[in-house]
Amino acid sequence: MAELERELFEVGRRLAAAMPTTRNPLKALDDKAMDLASSDAELKAALFRFVDVVPACRNLDDLARHLTAFLEEVEEPPPSIGVALRMGNTRAGRRALGMAAATGVKHMAHRFIVGETPKSALGVLRELWKDGVASSVDLLGEATVTQAEAQRYADRCADALDTIAAAARSWPPREQLERDSAGPLPRANLSVKVSALTPLLRPDAPERGKRDAADRLRPLLRRAHERGAHLHIDMESMDSRDAVLELILELLAEDEFRAGPSAGLVLQGYLRDSPETLDTILAWIDRVERAQPLTIRLVKGAYWDHELVQAAQHGWTAPVFERKADTDANFERLTKRLLDARPRVRVAIASHNLRSVSHAIAYNRITGGRDEDLELQVLRGLGDPLQAAIASLGLRVRTYCPVGDLVAGMAYLVRRLLENTSNESFLHEQARGVPLEELLAPPEATV
Amino acid sequence: MTLGPFANEPVLELRRAPVRAQLAGALEAFDARPVLQVPVWVGEDARTGDALVSIDPGEPERVVAEAAVASEADVERALALAQGSAWRRTTASERAEVLVRAAAWLRERRLELAALEVREAAKPWREADADVCEAIDFLEYYAREAIALQDRPPELIQPPGERNELRWQPRGVVAVISPWNFPIAIPLGMTAAALATGNAVALKPAEQSPGCAYLLVRALREAGVPADALALLPGEGDVGAALVGDPRVHTIAFTGSGPVGLEILRRAAEPAPGQRHVKRVVAEMGGKNCVIVDSDADLDDVVPALIKSAFNYAGQKCSAAARVLAHEAIHDALVERLAGAVEVLHVGQASDPEIDVPPVIEREAQERVARYAERAAVEGTIAARAAQVPERGFFATPTLATGLPDDSPVLHEEIFGPVLAVERVRSVEEACDRVDASAYALTGGLFSRNPQTVDYVADRTPVGNLYVNREITGAMVGRQPFGGNRLSGTGTKAGGPGYLLQFVEPTVITENTVRHGLVV
Repeated sequence: MAELERELFEVGRRLAAAMPTTRNPLKALDDKAMDLASSDAELKAALFRFVDVVPACRNLDDLARHLTAFLEEVEEPPPSIGVALRMGNTRAGRRALGMAAATGVKHMAHRFIVGETPKSALGVLRELWKDGVASSVDLLGEATVTQAEAQRYADRCADALDTIAAAARSWPPREQLERDSAGPLPRANLSVKVSALTPLLRPDAPERGKRDAADRLRPLLRRAHERGAHLHIDMESMDSRDAVLELILELLAEDEFRAGPSAGLVLQGYLRDSPETLDTILAWIDRVERAQPLTIRLVKGAYWDHELVQAAQHGWTAPVFERKADTDANFERLTKRLLDARPRVRVAIASHNLRSVSHAIAYNRITGGRDEDLELQVLRGLGDPLQAAIASLGLRVRTYCPVGDLVAGMAYLVRRLLENTSNESFLHEQARGVPLEELLAPPEATV
Repeated sequence: MTLGPFANEPVLELRRAPVRAQLAGALEAFDARPVLQVPVWVGEDARTGDALVSIDPGEPERVVAEAAVASEADVERALALAQGSAWRRTTASERAEVLVRAAAWLRERRLELAALEVREAAKPWREADADVCEAIDFLEYYAREAIALQDRPPELIQPPGERNELRWQPRGVVAVISPWNFPIAIPLGMTAAALATGNAVALKPAEQSPGCAYLLVRALREAGVPADALALLPGEGDVGAALVGDPRVHTIAFTGSGPVGLEILRRAAEPAPGQRHVKRVVAEMGGKNCVIVDSDADLDDVVPALIKSAFNYAGQKCSAAARVLAHEAIHDALVERLAGAVEVLHVGQASDPEIDVPPVIEREAQERVARYAERAAVEGTIAARAAQVPERGFFATPTLATGLPDDSPVLHEEIFGPVLAVERVRSVEEACDRVDASAYALTGGLFSRNPQTVDYVADRTPVGNLYVNREITGAMVGRQPFGGNRLSGTGTKAGGPGYLLQFVEPTVITENTVRHGLVV
């Protein structure tokens, strides 16, 4: 225990020291807006609602009207907001305000979204790779409510696999990104959402949706296998958790897919029953012989507010831990179990929390594991400094890279902003200058 | 008795497989039992019979319940007993205790009751469960409201030498006439409100769902409602008419169609020979509910919410969405996405958890929906129909219509089935004008992300319940007190503060407390 904490602190100190301090001045501008938003709940709500509605505004005037309508609901607006509100009083003012606001949101979106199409994202992906950073591409899209939309998403996924796999062949060799002790790791890596593959997924009646999604997921698995790419199935909210898990385990156990592709799924550490979910997955692994080990990406989970609100409205027990420290502690327990389960699984630890990341690296080292058998993952735009630090230490880091247009990206963007400005968020604490000892202290769990 | 604060009964968490697994077992157990025998239940006498039969709308040859039909003599005896019942002399707290016991009775039999609704009313599981929960909510909520009404009467001015007090008295006998579409919650809600305030009740349930009515009467009787304070009178319209016209009835609580509601209001206004009071009618009638979708709406949210509002339970809710008023900037995109979502609707047996749309209640409803769909095809365009609809059973085809002329009956008459029409509007103002032109004003919806638009529509809308950026059905007790204005109802709000006032009369007692110049 003491040894783990010692090693953890050492890793954390080195990571912190390796984080780049020079920042793009434009990024600093965003940070300022985010700081402002974090400090005032009403203003935060106003700005989020605005960011959310931007793609649906018909013109600059409409944009400005929305912005002023949201800001008017802030009871004690800071002085800068007063200026914006006065601009909203005239047509010319609204145009200028709309333009400024649209530019701001677009800029923020570009921080999180690497391109509108896989093709236009190739430049960023290649640069990342050259810098020692692997990627997983996620195609943003509108909600799937029709078969046509489901097919469109499946087609986009197929195209992304082709495009990225073809381009990745010309990337320079990066040994720590392409191999672990279990064998070679695909360069091309795509994350897909089951809810986007079918309009039929119903929380209380999963079978039809699962069947429909399977019909579109099988060709994608086949394609990934042919192209030598990795296919990762994302997790979404609790409404679809069981269906997604069952679907992926069923498909990967089919004869055809035992040979490949390299594939993975996600375990959400904020779920109270995530240890039992891991039991299910490990039991499956014992049963199912596959050519390549299943990759498990451990995340905390991105639907925390949604899960709490939904449970409260229905009178259900919340499926998530309500205290962040409990999630953090659970995350560490799951990290250990996953690392102990190798080589049956490949482990990817996805977090921006310096403690969580350092914990994984340190536990791996003190238990005799090799660095190459642990992958760290971060989100584009949120985890950039950590990504650079991990890469500079020669560890394998993979950045989750959303691709899509602004309309499609809004839900994603708002979720990321919420995460980033939450007062409990690690990034927020880090930005506030909380001392390293505190950032690396063990979570004070209650369960 | 002291009761904790009201909380809604949690619906089943059907997204969890072990919870879902209970449903099949509950249905099997229900199906294994003999056909439910529903009596005419007046005082201690329960007379069974089979003059009335309820069936499974998805498999019409399956008989769910056999009921006796109330005769004139039954009505006569029920009202005589009700009039003499000592229930009115109990305290609010004693009555609350009975209601809370009835809630516990229902809670213990939740799955069994839901299974009955699945069979008798073709309610899909999720909705059947929600109906049972709402019934429990009504009991728990009105129990608390009745205590509050007694313990905290309105405050009056008290000058020196004068004591003023307002007491609420039960009005008398209440006739409850209820529909089949919320076969336990609605009759139980009206009955519970009347009983909570000390009135005796004669219940005439819908002829399509006597089985559900029988179980809710059992819940109340077994919980301690005296036999003379609650009668079950299954039957057709003539039983209801007899109750409405009787001089001994004080209050009529009705939920159902507009024409029947208006007829009740007319009949109740005419004093019967020997009648010594003015009858009060609490009526919840139909709707033709509109959802406004502004240009800034998030269609990702709009489409599922509209599908749910228009097609859940095959549109057989008075709160269901019938018209979408879509801003021209998003009209075409919305229609395209809605059409795709309608095409994949899975129509099938209510007992199958995988379905989206169950059958409608009876053949007449099936034919009515088909007539309106044909009319929509002639006058406008059918943008989409559900791809597959079973042939046996009373199934209606979910239909999306566009391009209808402004005066089309499809836009103005209540269809009470799975038909949704989309209209193009130039602005939210125009949409509000259209809503305002309607004689109905029950529920309404708005999708907009501009707080000023939300304010504007909230100010202008005549509807009883406006839902913003969500589905427009599923009102919950204590959260969305429910009821319509205009021809949709008498403006009362079921499941809300003030509802019980419909069932009581105020008496103000003013006492002179000065005696020989001394204030005593």
